Amino acid sequence: MKKNEFIKQLAEFCEFSKTDFSIETKLVSIDGYDSMATMSIIVFIEENLNVKLTAMQINGLSDFGSLIELIGSEKFDHD
Amino acid sequence: MIDLSGKYILITGASSGLGRAISQKAAAQGATIVLIARNETKGIETIKLLKGSNHILYTEDIANCLVIEKIIKSLIEKKIKISGFVHSAGIEKTLPLKSSTTAVFHEVFNINVFAGFEFARLLSQKNIVDHSGASFILISSVRGKLGVPFNTVYCASKSALIAGSKAIAMELASKNIRCNCVLPGITETEMIQEFFKSIPPESKENIINEHPLGLGKPEYIASLVTFLLSDDAKWITGADYIIDGGYSIH
Repeated sequence: MKKNEFIKQLAEFCEFSKTDFSIETKLVSIDGYDSMATMSIIVFIEENLNVKLTAMQINGLSDFGSLIELIGSEKFDHD
Repeated sequence: MIDLSGKYILITGASSGLGRAISQKAAAQGATIVLIARNETKGIETIKLLKGSNHILYTEDIANCLVIEKIIKSLIEKKIKISGFVHSAGIEKTLPLKSSTTAVFHEVFNINVFAGFEFARLLSQKNIVDHSGASFILISSVRGKLGVPFNTVYCASKSALIAGSKAIAMELASKNIRCNCVLPGITETEMIQEFFKSIPPESKENIINEHPLGLGKPEYIASLVTFLLSDDAKWITGADYIIDGGYSIH
C-alpha cells in the first residue's frame, strides 16, 4: 500500500468527514479526531499492516507523516 | 470461615488473573484444584503457589471443545468427583463494530461462552459430580450488563453467560447443582493491562475515576467466588453478582 492510499483508507475507516489529507496534515486539526478515532487507527493499522501500536504512541504524534514513520516506511510501497 | 475441604474444584483459566487468584483462595480454604490452563509454564507456576498438594493440572486449549470431553473422561478415570466448577478463562477483543466479523465472534465465543457451557454440560452428568451436589460459577463481567464502545463481541459473550447460567440453575436444581454468575468490574490483571494499552490515556483515566472504590484486585473476586462455591451459599442459585467497586452505579 502506498502512503497516500494508506492515509485515504485510514480516513475512510475512521469516518472522518474528509479523506483528502496529506502527510503534513496535523492530526488534531481533523474534524472527528478523538479517542474513538485513536482506537480505530490502532485497529486499522493492525489489520492492514500487521503492526500493533498503543494509544499512548499515537497520542504523541503530530501528523500523518509521523504516524507513517512510527509504523515504519518499509511497510509501505514506494510512491 | 469458608471451608472447602474435601472438595475438588475445576477452574478454567487457572494460570493467570482471576483464575489464579480463585485457585489460590480455594486451595487455602482446603479445596483440591483441577487447573485448566493453556500455558504449561504458567500452570506449573500457579500450582507452586497453591496451599496443599494433589492439585491437578491439565494443559489444554479449551477453544477446541473436543479437549473438554478428554479432560472430563480423565477425571472420571481418576474417580474424581467435582464439587465446584469455575469458568474463568476468557479473552477480550477491543474492536470497532465494523471490525467485529463473525470470525472474531467465533474466536471470542469459543472460549468465553462455548467452553464454559460445554464444561457445564459434561459436568452435569451423574457420574462426575459429587453426590451432594455442586456449585458452578461462570465469570461474566460488568460489561455483560453495560454497553461499552468497541466491546460488542466481549459484551455479548459475557451477557450470554448471565442468561445461560439462569437456565442451567433452573434445570439442574433438582440435581442439587447450583449455577451463578459473578460480574467483576475492572480488576488489575494482565488482560486489563493489555486493554489499557489499547485505549487512550485519558480513557484509561476516566475508567479508573469512574470506580468509586478504585480498581479491584483479583483476590476481591476470589473471595466472592469461594463463598459461592461453599455450602454457606447453598440457597443461592441463578444469581448474578456485580462486584465492581461501584462502577456500574452511575
